[in-house]
Amino acid sequence: MDASDLPTLVERCRAGDATAWETFVRQMQGRLFALAYSYAGDREDARDLAQEIFVRLYESRGQWPSGDEFLPWLFRVARNRSVDYLRRRSVRRPAATVDEADIAELPDLSPGAEAQAIASDRRSLLHAALRSLSAINREIVVLRDVHGLPIQQVASILGVPLGTVKSRASRARVELAARVLALSRGRGEA
Amino acid sequence: MNRITCDHVRSEVLDPGTVPGDWVRRPDAAAHIQQCPACQDWLDAFAAGQQAWAAVPAGDFAVQVMARTSGADEVVRDLPLLSDMDPGPGFAERVLLATSRQPAPDRWRTRAAGAWRVLVRRPRFAWEAAYVATVCWVLVFGNPVGAIEWSASNIGAAARERLGPPVEELRADLETWRGRLAPEAAPAQRALSGRPVEPAPPVARAWQAATEWLRAVAASVVDAIAAAWDGAAAWLERLAREPSSSPTEPPGGPARSRQ
Repeated sequence: MDASDLPTLVERCRAGDATAWETFVRQMQGRLFALAYSYAGDREDARDLAQEIFVRLYESRGQWPSGDEFLPWLFRVARNRSVDYLRRRSVRRPAATVDEADIAELPDLSPGAEAQAIASDRRSLLHAALRSLSAINREIVVLRDVHGLPIQQVASILGVPLGTVKSRASRARVELAARVLALSRGRGEA
Repeated sequence: MNRITCDHVRSEVLDPGTVPGDWVRRPDAAAHIQQCPACQDWLDAFAAGQQAWAAVPAGDFAVQVMARTSGADEVVRDLPLLSDMDPGPGFAERVLLATSRQPAPDRWRTRAAGAWRVLVRRPRFAWEAAYVATVCWVLVFGNPVGAIEWSASNIGAAARERLGPPVEELRADLETWRGRLAPEAAPAQRALSGRPVEPAPPVARAWQAATEWLRAVAASVVDAIAAAWDGAAAWLERLAREPSSSPTEPPGGPARSRQ
């Protein structure tokens, strides 16, 4: 999405502009769905969760922060809603395991069939490796390395000390890389 | 054979192409290590590091090494691929449909007015309002029963304070008058009855006077009732003696049809 348009879009949404809200939904759906998927681990659950996040955003759009504070706030809301969702789901049924076929079905918009296949394979590998990390390490990697938030904001969103996030971030990267290598070796041998 | 130095030991052990255990068991290397405390310490530290390295969970040694060298950078470079995913067709429409049913965000006054309308329409609102008003009244003005008790006690004290002196003055006047009248009435009574008459106390005299007044009133009431009864009886007798006639139909009028 065009980052320069976001503040204007946010302001229009705060003013109650329905067209701006629709534009916001269409622009942010991929990002929020990806975040929801990193928590839910299941495509249908991620759609429900992303919709819940959007509804929550819509209900509180009069109180949206403006400027640079918006994206961290958005991720905080999405994260809190995701944690609530996972808590409810853990009561309802066991957490879903990663479905490799489900991940492989994720469409890729990049041009070229070969590049699309490679990217899709790479994504499925990364998702599988991410799901094997511990919850806190996965959140750190998702917020810091996937969505590119500054490490201070990651610490603020997760509510943990900055030093903890720093040390865990480097360890989580190494752990993720080890998982990716192990998974890719396992796939190559298979 | 070259002379083994400390740098030689380190470079050979760290060389990825050699197996460290095999090299240090060579005679020339073993001889140097045996006589060099610095190399012994360094090799101990290297062995401890290898053990800690091997204790890293999940994966074999080669995977861990690769992860710490080129793997981590490559993975981190690819992670932004996951920042945007297509949620599938119809997702945005689904969200817009769900949010279009939501009421628009309004000001707190509007929300408060809506909540008030809902509250007022409830059947129990009058009871609840009365209860809340009573609680507020008690909180502000105190216990109403306590106020009544306080008022009663204060009214009694105020009445004693205000009416006490006149009553005492009246009582003193009565005693004075009794003291004056008693010597004058006593000879007359003795003369009438032939025996001395003790003056009645004021309460007995008041009771006697009240009783006589009540008797007089009762007699007058009884006389009035008797007079009224006699009058009613005379009216009834008079009414029975008079001929009966209808006041609404003059005598000799036309007969009514019986149809």
